[in-house]
Amino acid sequence: MIEFTNVSKTYPGGVKAIDDISLSIGHGEFVVLLGPSGCGKTTLLRMVNQLEELTEGEIAVEGSSIHDLNKIDMRRNIGYVIQSNGLFPNMTIEDNVMVVPAMLGWSKEKKKERFEYLMNLIGMPPETYRKNFPHELSGGQQQRIGVARALAADPPVMLMDEPFGALDPIIRARIQEEFLDIQRTLKKTILFVSHDIDEAIKLADRIVLLKDGKLQQFDRPEELLNRPANEFVSEFVGEDSVLKSLSLYQVQDMKAKLTLPEASDGLDGTVFKHGDSLRYVLSHLLHPTPKPVYFERQEGGLAGPISVAHIEAFVREMTA
Amino acid sequence: MGDFLSYLGRNYADIFSYTIEHIQLLGVSLTLAILIGVPLGIYLTTNEQLAATVLQAASIILTIPSIALFGVMIPILSLVGQGIGFLPAVIALILYSQLPIIRNTYTAINNVDPNIRDAANGLGMTTMQRLLKVEIPNGMPLIMAGIRTATVLSIGIGAIAAFIGSGGLGVLIDMGISRGNQNMIIAGALAISILAIAADFGLKKIQMKFSPKEIQ
Repeated sequence: MIEFTNVSKTYPGGVKAIDDISLSIGHGEFVVLLGPSGCGKTTLLRMVNQLEELTEGEIAVEGSSIHDLNKIDMRRNIGYVIQSNGLFPNMTIEDNVMVVPAMLGWSKEKKKERFEYLMNLIGMPPETYRKNFPHELSGGQQQRIGVARALAADPPVMLMDEPFGALDPIIRARIQEEFLDIQRTLKKTILFVSHDIDEAIKLADRIVLLKDGKLQQFDRPEELLNRPANEFVSEFVGEDSVLKSLSLYQVQDMKAKLTLPEASDGLDGTVFKHGDSLRYVLSHLLHPTPKPVYFERQEGGLAGPISVAHIEAFVREMTA
Repeated sequence: MGDFLSYLGRNYADIFSYTIEHIQLLGVSLTLAILIGVPLGIYLTTNEQLAATVLQAASIILTIPSIALFGVMIPILSLVGQGIGFLPAVIALILYSQLPIIRNTYTAINNVDPNIRDAANGLGMTTMQRLLKVEIPNGMPLIMAGIRTATVLSIGIGAIAAFIGSGGLGVLIDMGISRGNQNMIIAGALAISILAIAADFGLKKIQMKFSPKEIQ
């Protein structure tokens, strides 16, 4: 889907921004480009839609080299979201979202239908916001519109440059969830830049970790956490990599791996659902005045009480 | 005061036709000035070096006293038989209007949020689309402010152009001075002031209408 072959970018002064990177990103895969500031992650992203030139190597999108494609046409066929949302202040929300369809010459009816579909997708009633201007919206809403705009012409590939980076943590977490939901239905091929390892773990199918323009590791989040390829990777994922890896797993994963006791009376406790993160479960267990923790069971009733020992056993199982 | 009013009563038709002349002079010169200045200002955003030179030249033109500029143009335009009259007045007003129009347009386009420009490029707009749909609309308040400055400036300088036979309200002041007729001078000065205020007000309304709400 997106193929980087020995891609390098050298600035006139001889500084290598990107150093011989080869990646192969599959159809419908969500890949996060992760690394400290100045590692080249944004440059690598912007090379795909030719906002940055590459000096060596080749990038192919859907099998054709980007050099063979018309710059303007290829950009219209790739969704693009940036951190500061980049909405056009002079246009209404509808015009903003429909920028690319308008350039592609869609009919009025088709645009209207698409606008309504997208607004419902991002959970903003189309009629309420159609005639608003971007400055009348909150930061989170603006960023949702930015996502809708990128999805407007239904591009197979999305490039996202720290799209949620400017939002406060609560809104960011919510939008991440919403976006994951959208992605589960749409199955776009996504390249997503982030400097936040927690965000990367939460969102990514695979993570590209970069440092000084060089590839450090390209792997699934749990591999990155449990089997870092080098010193830099283990430093970057941090001392709490085990804790972080818990946010990768949900209650259902633990139920699948371990045999949990059936609860005789799970009455005065906290009940976790199927999709809840194990990180929250652990946090509850470590609470100074803990309440017993139970898991909901598919077949009815509850499993538990769950203890820290269960989590321990699960982690050992997963990293074995 | 009564004297002045009775002067107005007797001469309103003349004053009116001088005002029309003045507006014609302004209309022609400002239209041409905008047609030259706005595209030039936009082009300069793509060429930093030329921008510095052009803006410097435009600043220098603005420092030349208008009466001197008219004087210089007489022998040059005499070659085509237009030493005095409408044409030199229009040329002078175009030259004086260039600095506010070019500088404001240049600044307006340069000041467009780089993130917005990046988004426009990333979504696949052509240079022309980016300019027309994003950069000019968002730079509109600043561009219009330049045009307003140029207009008010031109209304004043247009009065001086009466000395080289361009017609307009300057004629009233010129004649009033040579005949010692105070009423004529006041009528001319008053009409020019009202014209300047009205033009500024009207352009401000236009500016509000065409500006994005967020950046007004």
